[in-house]
Amino acid sequence: MSEPILEMTDVSKRYRTAGGFGRRRKGFLAVDGVSLHVERGEALGLVGESGSGKSTLARMANGLVVPTSGTVRTDGQDVAGLSRRGLRRLRRNVAMVFQDPLASLNPRQTVRQTLENVFRAHGETTSTAELVALLESVGLGADYLGRYPHEASGGQLQRVAVARALALKPDLIIADEPTSALDVSVRAQILNLLADLQRDQGISFLHVSHDLAVIRLYSDRVAVMQRGRIVETGPSDEIFRSPQHPCTRALVEATPEAELPA
Amino acid sequence: MPDPVLQVEDLCVSFTSGGVTADVVRDLSVSLDGGRTLAVVGESGSGKTITGRAIMRLLPRGASARGRIVVAGREMLSADERELRRARGFDVAMVFQDSMSALSPYLDVGAHIAQAVRLHNPSVTRRAARARAVEMLDRVGIPEPADAVRRFPHEFSGGMRQRAMIAMALVNRPALLIADEPTTALDVTVQAQILALLRELQREYGMAMLLISHDFGVVGSAADDVLVLYAGRQAEYGSLRDIFDQPAHPYTAGLRAATPRLDARLHTGGERTRLRAIPGAPTSLRDAGPGCAFAPRCGLADQVGERCVVEAPLPTVRPTSEGGGLHLAACHLDRLPAPQEVAR
Repeated sequence: MSEPILEMTDVSKRYRTAGGFGRRRKGFLAVDGVSLHVERGEALGLVGESGSGKSTLARMANGLVVPTSGTVRTDGQDVAGLSRRGLRRLRRNVAMVFQDPLASLNPRQTVRQTLENVFRAHGETTSTAELVALLESVGLGADYLGRYPHEASGGQLQRVAVARALALKPDLIIADEPTSALDVSVRAQILNLLADLQRDQGISFLHVSHDLAVIRLYSDRVAVMQRGRIVETGPSDEIFRSPQHPCTRALVEATPEAELPA
Repeated sequence: MPDPVLQVEDLCVSFTSGGVTADVVRDLSVSLDGGRTLAVVGESGSGKTITGRAIMRLLPRGASARGRIVVAGREMLSADERELRRARGFDVAMVFQDSMSALSPYLDVGAHIAQAVRLHNPSVTRRAARARAVEMLDRVGIPEPADAVRRFPHEFSGGMRQRAMIAMALVNRPALLIADEPTTALDVTVQAQILALLRELQREYGMAMLLISHDFGVVGSAADDVLVLYAGRQAEYGSLRDIFDQPAHPYTAGLRAATPRLDARLHTGGERTRLRAIPGAPTSLRDAGPGCAFAPRCGLADQVGERCVVEAPLPTVRPTSEGGGLHLAACHLDRLPAPQEVAR
């Protein structure tokens, strides 16, 4: 079996908090000794309540957040030892899609500029034909190249964000609540798009969400986080059929179903 | 039979900017009895929030409402400022999604509630109003209310702030509560608690509740009746059962199919299960032509033909399940085909 695309071993992150006069700075332990891996071609869902540390954990996977301790290996390479250039190479391979596309895209750049900048940042040039093909792969037409973010809807912008993530053909995409800011009818489009990328291009996913039903449908495996730790992990079907940890059980039970009460 | 607590007739809300007037809500009629919950479901541009605000007469500058809104016997659209002050908080109160911006950072939680008490009953002393606030905080499940009453909004967690806002809204026992996405910013476990609290208080006070939400999960666990809005117009209205079991509007059926469910099977025949997405993005009334606003996204429009493009459908009566009340849908199709026939 080949090496996992992402392997985190005993990773912790302590954020510094403001200390007061005479008070010791204790810091806040956002992630507490977590080990987790994502296999090649796999979609791992990371669920938990707000403040459970799931976003911090996800950001440590591509070096956006530096762990206080522990090791992160992507594609077999230790992230901690990387130079600036090394990090840049890492981020070709590990792309990210954020929750709010309007906040994660530059409002003063057209879609063309946004996409071209990805190539430029990595010392590559690109052609209009390539950009058009990229947009088509996320279901957008060539006419989007000239548009600014405010000229597109939330769902279209999230497609642009996915296109930007796909630009350098990454092996792993970290998606942090990629559909939470979208309308219900559009959310399904984006989720289906991500699932297609996994199936057709073999891209691995670390999918962070607070929405259990979304994770249920679009992850092969699930890890449940609570107060900085992973409390339960297993195949998606099993976790939701018979949740073992009280935290998982509470989440499953509290999730309202679009169903009539029995 | 007693009069409904809320009666909306032919409500139109329009915005004027730069000399141009555009409707954002058109021809909305609905009524709601005491003790019942009506969920207003829709996406961006559907007009659900504006409808809630029109009922409170809290429309933003440049917006105006026509038609008729009656809350607990009071005509809201023709009411003057004095009457409105009387109505707001007393006949109808509101709970918002973002509790941090709905509460004043300069006032402690008790002051918010006490103010609401004294505004409507000037004879109540400060001390008595404060005592009422403690009582109310206790009622909404805030631990150590006598202490919590002196705390400021930022000292509360999101769930606790939401409870405090509910206490403030309900302290005068309004006949109608408008809850605009009350749990959207909360974790699921806290969401379940807040929904349970709202249900409990509703039963206790016998009030009517207008629950504005985009989430069919929340709707399913809280509503008696459902109003589905699309681009400022009524798409479908019916009992929860009818809306879930026999939706008559393609948009309602589409929204349900696009909502991921926890009990969904992950794989069917080796393929991962996919949600049935609705193509395109939600529009607003401003961008809609003369026909049905949903037609460009509707997989069934070609079954009807040109009529969908040239003529906006009016709500017509649809079959109901046993014991179901009124069921209306605004669609030119008399009957939706079974889900498997709608394959794209």
